Amino acid sequence: MSALPERPISMVIGALGGEGGGVLTTWVVRAAEMCRFPTQSTSIPGVAQRTGATTYYVEIFPAPHEDLGSQELVMALYPAPGNMDIVVTSELMEAGRMLENGMVTPDRTTLIASTHRVYSVVEKSAMGDGLFRADKLDNAAQKLAKRAVLFDMATLSQKEGTVLNAIVLGVIAGSGELPIPVDNFRKSIRESGVAVESNLKGFELGLAYMSGELKLPNAVPEKKIPKARPSAESLITDVLATYPAEAQAIVSEGVKRLVDYQNPAYAKLYLDRLSEILTIDRERGGERNGWALTVETGRYLALMMSYEDIIRVADLKSRRSRMERVRADVLAKPDEPIHVTEFLKPGFDEMTSVMPSWLGRPIMNWARGKEWANNYNFAMRVRTDTINGFMRLWTLSKLRFYRPKTYRYQEEQKAIEGWLNTVRSAAALHYQLAVEVAELANLRKGYSDTHKRGLQNFTRIMDKVGVPCSTAAKDPAWGVNALSKLRAAALADPEGDALEKAFSELDAAPQAAAAE
Amino acid sequence: MERTFAREVGMLRRGDGEYFEGEGILAITKALLQSGVSYVGGYQGAPVSHLMDVLTSDSKGLMAELGVHTEVCANEAAACAMLAASVNYPIRGAVTWKSTVGTNVASDALSNIASVGVIGGSLIVLGEDYGEGSSIIQERSHAFAMKCSVWLVDPRVNHPRIVDLVEKSFELSEASNTPVMMEFRIRACHVTGRFATKDNRKPEFSMNDPIPEPEYDLDRIALPPSTYLQERMKVEQRFPAAIKFIRENKMNEFFEGDCDDVGIICQGGLYNSVIRGLQQLGLADPFGKSRIPIYCMNVTYPMVPEEVTEFCANKRSVCIVEEGFPDYLEQALNATLRKADLNTTIVGKDVFPKAGEYQSEVMMNGLAKFVEGAVPKGIDLAPVAAVTKAVADNKAYAAELLGAPIPKRPPGFCTGCPERPVFSALKLVQQDPEIGKMHISADIGCHTFSTLPPFNMGNTVTGYGLGLASSAGVKDTLKGHTISIMGDGGFWHNGLSTGITGAVYNKHDNLLIVMANGYSSATGQQQLPSSTAGGLRPPDTVVPIENALKGVGVKWIKKQYTYKVGRMRNLIKEALTSSEKGLKVIIAEAECQIAKQRREKPIAAKLLKSGKRVVRTRFGVDEDTCTGDHSCIRLSGCPSLSVKPNPDPLRKDPVASVLTSCVGCGLCGEVSDAAVLCPSFFKAEIVQNPGVIDTIAHRMRAAVISMFQGKLDTREPAASQSIQPDTKVAAE
Repeated sequence: MSALPERPISMVIGALGGEGGGVLTTWVVRAAEMCRFPTQSTSIPGVAQRTGATTYYVEIFPAPHEDLGSQELVMALYPAPGNMDIVVTSELMEAGRMLENGMVTPDRTTLIASTHRVYSVVEKSAMGDGLFRADKLDNAAQKLAKRAVLFDMATLSQKEGTVLNAIVLGVIAGSGELPIPVDNFRKSIRESGVAVESNLKGFELGLAYMSGELKLPNAVPEKKIPKARPSAESLITDVLATYPAEAQAIVSEGVKRLVDYQNPAYAKLYLDRLSEILTIDRERGGERNGWALTVETGRYLALMMSYEDIIRVADLKSRRSRMERVRADVLAKPDEPIHVTEFLKPGFDEMTSVMPSWLGRPIMNWARGKEWANNYNFAMRVRTDTINGFMRLWTLSKLRFYRPKTYRYQEEQKAIEGWLNTVRSAAALHYQLAVEVAELANLRKGYSDTHKRGLQNFTRIMDKVGVPCSTAAKDPAWGVNALSKLRAAALADPEGDALEKAFSELDAAPQAAAAE
Repeated sequence: MERTFAREVGMLRRGDGEYFEGEGILAITKALLQSGVSYVGGYQGAPVSHLMDVLTSDSKGLMAELGVHTEVCANEAAACAMLAASVNYPIRGAVTWKSTVGTNVASDALSNIASVGVIGGSLIVLGEDYGEGSSIIQERSHAFAMKCSVWLVDPRVNHPRIVDLVEKSFELSEASNTPVMMEFRIRACHVTGRFATKDNRKPEFSMNDPIPEPEYDLDRIALPPSTYLQERMKVEQRFPAAIKFIRENKMNEFFEGDCDDVGIICQGGLYNSVIRGLQQLGLADPFGKSRIPIYCMNVTYPMVPEEVTEFCANKRSVCIVEEGFPDYLEQALNATLRKADLNTTIVGKDVFPKAGEYQSEVMMNGLAKFVEGAVPKGIDLAPVAAVTKAVADNKAYAAELLGAPIPKRPPGFCTGCPERPVFSALKLVQQDPEIGKMHISADIGCHTFSTLPPFNMGNTVTGYGLGLASSAGVKDTLKGHTISIMGDGGFWHNGLSTGITGAVYNKHDNLLIVMANGYSSATGQQQLPSSTAGGLRPPDTVVPIENALKGVGVKWIKKQYTYKVGRMRNLIKEALTSSEKGLKVIIAEAECQIAKQRREKPIAAKLLKSGKRVVRTRFGVDEDTCTGDHSCIRLSGCPSLSVKPNPDPLRKDPVASVLTSCVGCGLCGEVSDAAVLCPSFFKAEIVQNPGVIDTIAHRMRAAVISMFQGKLDTREPAASQSIQPDTKVAAE
C-alpha cells in the first residue's frame, strides 16, 4: 500500500440556480466513484437559489476505499479559501465572485470559467448602461490562479447544440487535474441517461479544447457596422477628408444612418450642422480632448435626427435583413416556417407624428392636458409574415418621402436646433460643459411614456442648468458637474425620485457641488 | 414534484449486507424504516422536503408492505400533533419540517406532547435552514428544546453515525418518555455518502397489525392537576433518564489529541468543519486525527454534566464552537464548570462571531485565534499565523486586482413564472394616479421575490399564510390602499383560517390576491388540496380555493389568468375602487412553469421526434428599434429577458435581448402592450415539422413579401457584415 494522499482534492462549482449545476456535480462524483475514490458532494438547494448565485462542493480523496483500511475520512461541507484545487464557474461574474471570496490561490487552484455574461437583474434593469465592467477580471484570474482556463462555453454550446455543463465536464476531464480516466466521465454521462448524445458531444468539445484540437473563432465584434449605400459614398469621402481620425467612425455612421433613414440630402443637413461644431472644436482645442465635442455631438445629432417615428419602425420591421435576424434569434431551421406577431400600440403621439403639421399641431395642442387623450391608444397585433400584415408596415414605411412635412419632423428639428445652439454657446465658455450638454441628448429615447418622461427630464435639465450655464448666467464649471450628476440621476429610476433628489441637492448646496 | 425518487426507493429497500449511497436526508429516511416506525408525517420545506417526497410518492408500495402510515400534513402543527399516537401507545413515529419557522407553527402541539410525554419513540427531524442558502429568519431550535424539555440531537455529519444516532434517538425517546428533536443543517441534508444498511423493521403495531384497545389515562392529559405532575416528571425522571441513556450509549464522542492541556467542544454538526479548520492550520489530518482533544456533542440538549467536567478537568483552556445566537451551550458550560468548581477558561463567542454561520474561513480564523490565545503545549504558533495571513492576504490582493466589489446576484422568479405578471400588473396599477402607491402585506412563498429587484414590492412579510392577517392593523391607519398577497400554499397552510375567516368576520374592506399556481412551489412543487396537477389529478379530489372562500363568506371573488397583465391591472383597480363592502379576493391563476415545463417538454420532444407538427413559441426584441431604456425589464425581471451590448455603432446603452431559455410565456408582449412600452417586441411561433399547408402558405407569403423587399433591398443594402455568423447558427 502506497502512502495515502495528504488531503482530498477540493472542487467548488459556482453556478446560477436552475442551470443544472447539480447534474454536473453528479457526473464528477460518479466518475470519481468508478475509481473507488471516497467522494462527497453537497449543495444548498432551495428557493433562495432560484435564478440567484449558488454553489456545489465536491471532495474527492484520490485513493481507493480499500487502501484506507480501518481509517475513516472526515470530509468538509464548505469550500474553504486557500484550500481549493479546482474552481469552476458557469459564468464570468461568478468567477469574479470566487476570486473575491479568496477561493482561487496561485499555489494550487485551477480556475475553469465560461467567459460569457448572464446579467444580474440589477445590471439589466438600469435605465442606461448598468453593466458590470468585467475588464479587470481576466488579469485578476491570470494572476490569482495557478492555471486559468477561460473561454466562452455558452456560445460554443449554443452553436453546437449541446449544454454548457457538458463542455465544462470535458474541460475538467481534459485539464488532468483529477486523477480520473477520461472514459469514466463518458460512462458517467451515459449512466445518467438524460440527453446522452448531446451531452457527450459537449464533453468531447471540452476535451478537444483542452487538447488544443479545437480552436475557437474570434468573438463576433460587438458593433455591427453596416455597409454604406452607394448614395452615401461621396458624403463619406467628404467625412474622411474633413474630420479628424477620432471622429471619422462616428460621423460616417451618422451619414450612413441618415441616408438610410431619409435620403442623402438629409445626411448633408447633418454634416452641415456638425461642421459648425467641428469648427468650434478646432478653435477650442479639440485635439487635446480627443475631439470629444465633435464625436458626442455627432453621435447624438445623428440619433436625434433619426428619431423613431412609426415610419421608421415600420421600415425597420419590414426589411429582409430583419426577417433573417428574427429567424436566427429564435433558432428556426431553414425549412421551418415562422409566424411573427408585432405588438404595436399607437396613441395620439404616434398618429400625429405622421400628420402634416397644419393638422397635427392643433390636434396635439388640443390633446395635451387631456388625460384620456394622453392615455389613449389602441392595440395593433400585426403578423408581419403574412402578406396582409407585411403590406401594412411596408406601406407605412413608404411614407418616408413625406416625412419632412410631418408635425413630428418639425418639432424634432426645432428641438435639435435649440440643443445645438446650447452646445455651441457652451463650447465658447467651457469645453467639457459643451460635451455634457451634447450627452444630455441620451435622455431623449424610448417610446410613449418613456419617451415623454425622457423629454421632460431633458427639457428640465436644459432649462435649469444647461442653458443658464452656457450663457454664463450660472458658473459653467459648476455646470459640468451638475449636468453629469443630473443625467445619471435621470437614468437612475423611472419614477424620477433620484432626479428630484439630485435637483434638491443642487439647490441646497450649489457651492458644494461646484467644489467637488 | 420537482424530482422523482425511483433510484432512491431501491436504496430504501436494501437490507443486511448491502449499502446505501445517496443524500443525507434520504439516509435519515432509511434509518427511520430501520427503526421500525409506524407512522411518518410532516410539512415540506427545504432542506427536508425530500424525506416526505420520497415516502409519499415513489415508495408508497414499500410503505404499504411495512404498514407504515405516511401523511402530508396541512402544516407543522398538524405534523407535530401526529406524535400523539405515541403518547398512549408503544408505537414509534417520526415527523419532519423546516426549522425554526416550522417549529414555531408546531409549538402548541410540541409543548403539549412534551408535557404529557410519550411511551413510543418519537422523533422530530428538523431541517435547520440556517446560514447560506437560507430563506427564513435566523434563529436557533435549541430554545424550543430548552423550554419544552425535549432533547436535541445534532449529529456529526457522517452517514453511518447519523443512521446510528437516529436509531439511538428512538431508544432515548423511549427510555426518557420524551420526544427527541434531531437537527440537520442544509448541507448535511444534501451531503452524499454511504452506509451499511440493515433490514427494515416491521413495526409491532401498524396499519397491518392494529393496536387492539384504546387506552385512557388521565395522567396523559395536559390539564391540571396532571400538568403539575408532568412538570415534576420532567425534572425528576425524564431528565436523569435521558442523561443516563446518553452517557451509557456514548451518543457524544471524545476524540483524543496530544496537546491535552487544551480542548475543543463542538456541536456535532460542526465537527467536520472543526476538523477541516484544524487541518488547514496543520493541526489535524484528513482522518480526523487532531492534535487538540475534541468533545463532540451529538446531543446538544441536555448537556451531560459528567462528560463536560470530565473533559474539562486538567485543561487550562477549552474552546466551545457553537453556531448561532444566543450562546446557550457556552452559558450552560460555564455554569456546569462553576458548580463543579473547575477553573478551566472557556473561550467561545469571544474568538468566534456572535452571529452567523460558521463557514470554513470563519471556523479556521476562530480556531486560530483560540490556539494563539491558549498557546497549547507543543504547538508552534508561527505556521498557524502564516496560514490565516496567507488567506487574508490573497483576499486583499484579489480585491485590489478586481478594483470594485462584484455585484450581488439576488434570486428571483424563474423564467416564465406565472406569479411575475401579477407584480407587473401591481406595478402598473400603482402608476395610476387614482390608485397611487400601496402598502403591500406580502407573504411567504416564491412570490416573496417581489420584494427584491426589479419589483421592490412588499412592505412586510410576517410568516407563512399571514399576508392577510398582517394587514389588519395597518389598513385603516394608512391613507392609501393596503392589499395583501397569499400563495395557495400559505392559503391551505393556515391562511384560510388565520387570514380570510378573520377578515370576513371583522368586515375587512380590502383586497387579497391569492397566487394560485397549483403547487407548494417554493418547497419543490408538492401538491395542495387545490392542485389539479395540470389536469392530472381526478377533479373529485380537488378542493377549489373558490369554494373554500365562498364557504367562509367571501362575496367578491374573481379569478384571473395571470399572464393577462392588462386585465389583471384593471381587475385590481376595480377591486380597489369598488363601492361594494367586504373582503375582495382575486385568485391569480396559472400553473407553476417548472411543473408545466417538466410535464410538457418530454411530450413535445416525443411528438417532434415522431415527425408531428409542433409549434414552439419564442419572444424576441428588435435590436434596431430598442432604444435601451429597459422599461420592459423593470416590469418583468424574467431571467430570459436580458440585455446585450448595443450592436448599433452610434448607441452606447445595452439593448434588451431575449435569451434562448425563453419558454414563450408571453409576458413580454403583454407587458409592452399593457404598459404601452415600445414596438420592439415580437412573438415568433416556429412551426416544427411543418405540414404541407404550412409550407405552401409560407412559400407563397415569402415569395410575395420578398418581391416587395427586393425593391427595398436594392435601394438599401443595409445587411450588415456581422449578420453572417448569426444566420449560420440558424442553419444548424
